[in-house]
Amino acid sequence: MLNYLIRRIVWMIPMLIGISLISFFIMHLAPGDITSTEAAFDPKSSEESRQKLRELYHLDKPVIVQYGLWLERMVHLDFGHSFASHQKPVFWAETDKDGNTTPGMIQEALPITLLMNVVGLFLTLTLAVPLGVIAAKKYGRWPDRSITLFNFIGFSIPGFWLSLLLMYWLGVIHPWFPISGLHSLNYAQLDTWQKCQDLLMHLFLPVVIPAITGLAGITMFVKNGMLDVLSQDFVTTARAKGLSDCTVTYRHALRNALLPLITLVGLSLPGLIGGSVIAETIFAIPGMGKLFYDAVMMRDFPVIMGILTIGSALTLMGNLLADLAYAWADPRLRRGVMPQR
Amino acid sequence: MMKRRMTNRRLTGMHHTCTKQYASIGQQLVIGMLCSTLLACSADSPDQNTAALNQPYPAQTGGTLISAMPSDPSGMIGMVAGESASLAIGAYLFNSLLTFNQDLDLAGELAESWQVADDKKTITFKLKPGLQWADGKPLTSADVLFTWQLIIDEKTHSPYASDYQLVTKAEAPDAQTFIVHYAQPFAPALESWAHLQVLPKHKLAGQDIHTTSFAQKPLGSHYYQLKEWRHGEYLKLERNPKSVLGPANIDNVVERIIPDPAAQFLELMADNIDSMTLDPITYARIIPSRPALQAKLNQYKELGNSYTYLGFNLKRKPFDDVRVRKAINYAIDKQEIIDGVYLGLGIAIASPYKPGTRWSNPNLTPYPFDPTKAKQLLAEAGYVDSNGDGIVERDGKKLSFEVLTNLGNKQREKTTVIIQRRLKEVGIETRIRTLEWASLLTNFIKPGDFDAVVMGWGLSLDPDQYSIWHSSQQGPGQFNFIGYNNPAVDKLLEQGRMEFDPETRMQIYHDFAKVLYEDSPLVYLSAGYGLTAIHKRVQGIMNPVPPAGVGYDSHKWYLPEPLRRTQIQAE
Repeated sequence: MLNYLIRRIVWMIPMLIGISLISFFIMHLAPGDITSTEAAFDPKSSEESRQKLRELYHLDKPVIVQYGLWLERMVHLDFGHSFASHQKPVFWAETDKDGNTTPGMIQEALPITLLMNVVGLFLTLTLAVPLGVIAAKKYGRWPDRSITLFNFIGFSIPGFWLSLLLMYWLGVIHPWFPISGLHSLNYAQLDTWQKCQDLLMHLFLPVVIPAITGLAGITMFVKNGMLDVLSQDFVTTARAKGLSDCTVTYRHALRNALLPLITLVGLSLPGLIGGSVIAETIFAIPGMGKLFYDAVMMRDFPVIMGILTIGSALTLMGNLLADLAYAWADPRLRRGVMPQR
Repeated sequence: MMKRRMTNRRLTGMHHTCTKQYASIGQQLVIGMLCSTLLACSADSPDQNTAALNQPYPAQTGGTLISAMPSDPSGMIGMVAGESASLAIGAYLFNSLLTFNQDLDLAGELAESWQVADDKKTITFKLKPGLQWADGKPLTSADVLFTWQLIIDEKTHSPYASDYQLVTKAEAPDAQTFIVHYAQPFAPALESWAHLQVLPKHKLAGQDIHTTSFAQKPLGSHYYQLKEWRHGEYLKLERNPKSVLGPANIDNVVERIIPDPAAQFLELMADNIDSMTLDPITYARIIPSRPALQAKLNQYKELGNSYTYLGFNLKRKPFDDVRVRKAINYAIDKQEIIDGVYLGLGIAIASPYKPGTRWSNPNLTPYPFDPTKAKQLLAEAGYVDSNGDGIVERDGKKLSFEVLTNLGNKQREKTTVIIQRRLKEVGIETRIRTLEWASLLTNFIKPGDFDAVVMGWGLSLDPDQYSIWHSSQQGPGQFNFIGYNNPAVDKLLEQGRMEFDPETRMQIYHDFAKVLYEDSPLVYLSAGYGLTAIHKRVQGIMNPVPPAGVGYDSHKWYLPEPLRRTQIQAE
């Protein structure tokens, strides 16, 4: 077991280097750099200043040299400084000699996106699993059909359109929820309980809307898994033993039907740090999606690479965790994976 | 406090319009949404308070003004941050030596007076007495000198250093005097000193300007100080009682960062923000059609310092022929573009200056829409439709070219389509190609590989346009990318840079605009209005809007107590 783990983790290093190399080259394939986006067409800026900037950022060197410089910094876990955002540190906070701290860009955006996505994933799962089970149990009858219809509508509605509609309905006509932003202006003056409440109110629309529109996939996944399992012999055996319908469905069938869900959740781990540009833009939430989008548009290479590196590291971790969780949940696989035991 | 925002917009105006376009889907959608069924909703019933809103109150202090801006500033040191949000917030916090008054003439801000020496190579600024930073430390010429040293420092990453690098020597002989020497007379220098935000030496000396936490916790001398900054969400500014220009009326200014204009507008409707900039559809269609909104909002329009143009690659045939350029100019109906794209909220221009200002030549009128004249000019240039396919040709070659514009800028895309149609009517075939901004710049503009472009210029308040029109400025990455080369213009531009006397300068730039007009190296398409909506609870706004813009005297704005937001007051 331990050997397997160590082998997998050691293998991640060359994988990460490969991924970052490819990302770095693809990033440089896009025309332009920071000097063609920042103040590029302002008659007050000059080509000499831009040339100086290119030299300062080593953008005049060959891409492979730039990659080498980047890799050298990364070995020390130094994600560098943003080109476009006033030399802000990309990841970690930095403290100057007077003891004032400048927070890192990813450090600021990541918790927000993580919070939104974890709550969103939790919400999706808690809704999707019961819905899937009901749909499978009542297959072909009205509960199944209405769930399918609901999913179909949720899946088809463009998220940003629903967002704007609900912002108007629940924010302007009936001012029950804040329209945009993450904190009220008087957030600092609130006590802890009110702070939680404030945050929840702000998160409601941006979390619920993607959860509804993303419900369809997982519900169908659970439903199909349940349908497969319910028709299998061991379910029939369980019923023949005289077990109650509830026990058969939830203890025997559902546990087996949920196995593939582990892979699905494992694969969605890297997605947890990738925010949605559209949702974050509409709801004015400073998350990872917008950070990445703006970085790409500004050709802010250190930020792009920082996010991609973290994203790929998490993807690899997610794969590993999914495999481990699978092995833990499924005894057949556990024996296959670890024959020495 | 907002007075420099307009001029700041020009600094990065071009790229600004290019990076914020993803919002436009939402914007169009919310418009469709608002114009349809939801219009009938109850939110439309006018408020009982509207009567109170129209009642004038005496000027008073206090209150909180909340407005929205599309992007988070990256830091408070504008010269390094180089983007409009930083410069806009910086304009609340920092002063410059000079400023522009409401008629856009130069005036002193930190400087009480300034004097140009007889040889025009030395400018002496006398600072006002008793200036101080918000922390009570004196603001002296040493701070100005320090700021200048900072921007010209080899290690400083600033795209705006070039004007300041022309200073051969700067000195601060005493606390009130700041002297700059130039190798040769440089009239735009005065404007450059109106842009340089003076930074406190006692806070920044010995710091690395790029990583200093001053960028997050600044100390200024202007009307406001930064109180709280929640990155990507909002900035809270509070009145600086020690402001060098006297305290402002409004106690707190909050800038909320809301990237999507549709979301901004919803916040405005819900009364969560007091002001926002509008697009033409919201200004001309949505607000006027909703009585509830009209009852609580004042709308303002002001002419910006930018214009859209169709520029030709003058090094390529057929654009080397002035008759072809003029023909295209006559063939395009500018009013149609203004009406169709800007819903009438723009004007046609005849010179590259803001109409109504001193620099704009009043004797020039925009090229009229005259397809007959266009055809005649094309025929003179040898272009006739000999094979009857509707496209004119010369020596068997069709008059056909590609027009590039940047992707996502809907106004430019629409403009280009209108141009395409009008040019087809006189027998010119055009192909439209839209490209992402960085790619347009790097692959086409910089190497000079294009026929024609629809782009915009954001201009400074100084009339000098050397970098755009002088024949020496044609290198890759320089701004005369259309390849304009006219010795007469070169000479006028050189003269204009050396001349400090406003009257003589005015004549030079009028002559310059006249030559450009005759040469028609590009077609001025339109200069759009900047549009703003401000809640009626904000009073004391100058009406009509002065040339310097609606935010020019925002330090005199006030929020009458009965009209303030109750929730914020409780805070």
